[in-house]
Amino acid sequence: MDSYRIKQFSYKFICYTFLIILFLICVLPIYMLLINATRTTEAINAGFSLIPGTNIINNWNIIQGFGINIPLGLRNSLIIAISTTFLSVYFSLLTAYAINIYDFKFKKAFYGFILAMTLVPMNLYLIGFFQYMHHLGMLNSLTPMILPSIAAPGTVFFFKQYLDSALVPELIQAARIDGATEFEIFNKIVLPISKPGAFTMAIFAFVGSWNAFMGPLFIIGGNINLHTLPLIMQRLQGDAFRTDFGAIYLGMAISLIPIIIVYSIFSKYIVSGITLGSVKE
Amino acid sequence: MNTKNKKLVKDYWGYIFIAPFIIIFIIFALYPIANTFFLSFTNANIIHGMPGNIIGFNNFISLFNDPMFIRALQNTWLLWLGNFIPQMILALVLAAMFSSTTFKLKGTGFFKAIYYLPNLLMPVTVAALFQHYLTLHGPINSFLVGTTGLMSEPRNFLQFATDTRFTVMFIQTWMWFGQTAIVLVSGMTSISPSYYESAMVDGASQTRMFFKITLPLLKPVLLFVLVTSLVGGMQMFDIPLLLSDGPLGPPDMSVLTMNMFMRARMNHPANAIGSAAAVSVILFFISSFVALILFRVFRTDEQKQQKKQRRVETNG
Repeated sequence: MDSYRIKQFSYKFICYTFLIILFLICVLPIYMLLINATRTTEAINAGFSLIPGTNIINNWNIIQGFGINIPLGLRNSLIIAISTTFLSVYFSLLTAYAINIYDFKFKKAFYGFILAMTLVPMNLYLIGFFQYMHHLGMLNSLTPMILPSIAAPGTVFFFKQYLDSALVPELIQAARIDGATEFEIFNKIVLPISKPGAFTMAIFAFVGSWNAFMGPLFIIGGNINLHTLPLIMQRLQGDAFRTDFGAIYLGMAISLIPIIIVYSIFSKYIVSGITLGSVKE
Repeated sequence: MNTKNKKLVKDYWGYIFIAPFIIIFIIFALYPIANTFFLSFTNANIIHGMPGNIIGFNNFISLFNDPMFIRALQNTWLLWLGNFIPQMILALVLAAMFSSTTFKLKGTGFFKAIYYLPNLLMPVTVAALFQHYLTLHGPINSFLVGTTGLMSEPRNFLQFATDTRFTVMFIQTWMWFGQTAIVLVSGMTSISPSYYESAMVDGASQTRMFFKITLPLLKPVLLFVLVTSLVGGMQMFDIPLLLSDGPLGPPDMSVLTMNMFMRARMNHPANAIGSAAAVSVILFFISSFVALILFRVFRTDEQKQQKKQRRVETNG
């Protein structure tokens, strides 16, 4: 019995050591970035530190002098992320609801098609989309960044599974008897019922849009006034002559902080949401 | 009877509700995909008028004769395998720890949340961040040379092909191991405890149960992780581009991926959008083909396993 206890103790000790090392590997690079954002370039060059500096305002002023407009980037990122999140969640839920509740021709084929499309790499449509938008003269505008999010196969797939377990058909019948129109039923009954799932999907859609780089690079890369934060980060990184590391670290920190805040509030939602869209056995 | 009639009457609403999806999908996804396929058979050029002439399979032939494309193809696979294998091992170890019922670890929710955090960070910033950390005066050099004295002089890591590749693999692993571990944990906890109970009665060890029960029953989840990681890995772009700080993945094109090559074909001086389209078509076929093989391999294996299990259960 004693040897069993020693064995169990040493097993736990090894496990926790391993977990804590991984914890440090995950957190230290981010923590050091936040610290460096508050330090002077001289201090950063002299060596790393785990204690914040006092140079954050000065670093901000240096960024302003770069000719890189971070507030504008924040605004662009927010406009695109919020509108794509809203559109993809609303219309994906609407599509999934239609598949869930109505019987219509080609319904099965349509759903099968959506499933297949979730596996197609976005890369396959990017070049064709770029040439098409170029042809229409719509490159470097917000429309091609926002409108396509109405058709998000992955989100439809998630909501279809979600509604299968969350929606009671009798409720819809009862609302019909009360004289509600189909559109009212969706907006006033189905939307509120689906709130938890919609919220999870909204977070993932927001983060996806916030971090997206390749799509925006092709579609709005040519218009500096529309650049989102990832494109601004690339410009910040691209000018190799810049040696104001404090300011560069501050710029990088600004691109990460909103997501870190959102995550620290909703991490439970997000972590449990990861597996929702994956495998259901 | 009445309700059924009512339901049938309302069913045209199905078409109305899926209409926005279908219209937008056709305009902004289906047509562009068809357009990519079409462009891949043309010599369309961004500067000399877009449509170009149809040139058959010439784009594909010249791509496979282009050492730079072959290099990009090899790099993409190398970088994907180099992050997928360690990521999978790490995630399996973590998932085994998190779901272990004999040694109940505390704080697993907290560790899961922290390990997932890198996955949410902007890849562009992450790559730029590691690039700064690895410079001559960066914290990694100052730690290895100054603080610990493990190295006698600073090393300009990203000037070396191997170091740059290793860094890309490290960043990818860093960003994805938590996500994979969480998916595996949910797969493991859905395995019925009765399998383990009967194995324990037979006196099977923890390791033996892991390899004989957990892994085989985890196959659908492993397949999901493998396929999504593959489809994503073949499109690797942000991290190698920003880390190496050059469109062709310097030094010595060591981290030039297929998507980076595609962008290089499209940009100045080539401006060859037809050739770029051919790259994405190849990329699509490679990932679909490999995914299809994986589906086959895993499915037959799973069925075999189930048969075997059933036989063992009826015999024993």
